[in-house]
Amino acid sequence: MTRNSFFLHVCILVLMWTLLGAAWNVLGGFAGQVSFGHAALFAVGAYTTIILYLKAGLAPWWGMPVGGLAAALVSLPIGFLCFRLRGPYFALATLAVAELFKLVALNWESVTAGPVGYLITTLPPVRLFGTRLDWEGKPPFYVAAALLGVIALGTTGWLRGSRLGAYLAAIRENEDAAEAVGIDTVRAKVVTLALSAFLTGVGGGFYAFYFRYVDPDAVASLNLSMEMIFIAVVGGLGTVGGPLVGAAFLTAVGETVRARFQVGHLLAYGLFMMLVIRYMPEGIWGRLRRMVPGRRRDGAA
Amino acid sequence: MIGIGLTVVFGVMRIINLAHGEMVMLGMFGAYWGHLLLRLDPFVSLLALTPLMFLVGTLIYRLLLERIVAGGELNTLLYTAGLSLLVSNVALFAFTADYRTLTLSYGLAPFRPLGIAVSVPLAIAFLLALLVTAALALFLSRTDLGRAIRATSQNREAAVLMGIDVRRVAVITFGLGTALAGAAGALLAPSLYLYPTVGELLIVKCFVIVVLGGLGSVPGAIAGGILLGVVESLGAVYVSSAYKDGIGFVLFLAVLLYRPTGLFGAGK
Repeated sequence: MTRNSFFLHVCILVLMWTLLGAAWNVLGGFAGQVSFGHAALFAVGAYTTIILYLKAGLAPWWGMPVGGLAAALVSLPIGFLCFRLRGPYFALATLAVAELFKLVALNWESVTAGPVGYLITTLPPVRLFGTRLDWEGKPPFYVAAALLGVIALGTTGWLRGSRLGAYLAAIRENEDAAEAVGIDTVRAKVVTLALSAFLTGVGGGFYAFYFRYVDPDAVASLNLSMEMIFIAVVGGLGTVGGPLVGAAFLTAVGETVRARFQVGHLLAYGLFMMLVIRYMPEGIWGRLRRMVPGRRRDGAA
Repeated sequence: MIGIGLTVVFGVMRIINLAHGEMVMLGMFGAYWGHLLLRLDPFVSLLALTPLMFLVGTLIYRLLLERIVAGGELNTLLYTAGLSLLVSNVALFAFTADYRTLTLSYGLAPFRPLGIAVSVPLAIAFLLALLVTAALALFLSRTDLGRAIRATSQNREAAVLMGIDVRRVAVITFGLGTALAGAAGALLAPSLYLYPTVGELLIVKCFVIVVLGGLGSVPGAIAGGILLGVVESLGAVYVSSAYKDGIGFVLFLAVLLYRPTGLFGAGK
């Protein structure tokens, strides 16, 4: 079955961004903590995966969850540092942390190979259900990405219905009140960040796996953090389907702009970000859902 | 100067403007084209650019930002993030990503006051920045409008009760912040590389400075700027020149954690 390779590539991108958008959404949409530093977690995942593969021979499909775990571990001190702050101060602090990470990635050459980065030249073929996958074509990546997307959305869906989800909603609306009611806000935030970090790290690992090249500008830049935020916000902050819609929309727009004009896909992102906040603060998906008659979600943001 | 613009905007309107860096970039490019096309010395085109940027700022506020501010600080933050991407990418489009430099005929002449080598344009920029800062300080403390701005920054509701047209103050303040940024851009143009995404680099430094001094505090921003400059230079020599930017961040985080109102305690 042959498919347009570019189309598959776009789909893979959409799915990867859905994962990342959902990861950010867990912290930003559900818990209300806007982080500008998720690129740091992404980078940890990406570097861990690629280094484990190139130096220790650990296949990337195992490396990805390890990358996720590494990111989750790293998120603990970050959370410890930043969660004392609220709102915009938290955002700025995460920004500073992420920029620090980028600096470290650029300069700690013994570990991260600095600005040169790491390159995967070949991936080991694998036998799955009798067919041999050699990772040269897109379909296997598509399946992997789809799996990750499902996991991401499934996790956020579960989170929304869970007790932790309820705690997060309380924290998002009024953190002091939540504390007063007896919610352990610190623990809730830390767990949420760890979860968000894990998903982000896995996303980073997938990036290393699919794009095969990791360097500080690609995986640790502020732009990356911003893209994650945009996807979650444009799609629908705090919703489950939001990141998918956001990723699809922004990727479609971005690739179209890129095909026509070569540069400036970020321009579209910025523009839509502004439009959405101004006219559709609950995001595209949020707005669509509101238009469905008769369905009233409990406590929708 | 850039920091002052940012801190004033925050103080009055509680807006954290991520697009501030882009305003500087616009100022820089304005000076560049002025020099290239009209042979205007940037320190001269400053006089035209500043009011122009003021206008741009007021327009941005009126047309774009005003409605968003009501939605809360985080929304505004995200919105200005989008704006910053928009402006820098439009510039990327229009000006291409090439690095440019603005060289002045007297730019390379050696200048050694007190035996320290100083570049002439930078020295002029410094002096002008001092001048502007002093003028601004006078404006804020002596004129009615200046005092209105400070009052709104301290306590918005009280300002309304005192009969201050808060909305007008907000528009003017934002314009002022933008004008400062643009002017700073023109001053810096001969000394830095010009490229459309220079705003990213500047805005981060700018935030560090502003938080160091206390968001909303003008003297804080000044002190913060000096502090950062000194720390960075010393750090480059004694610690490691690769990590010199990192020192600013570490300082930033330390201040956020231990004295979130800033060293001069005027922040929120």
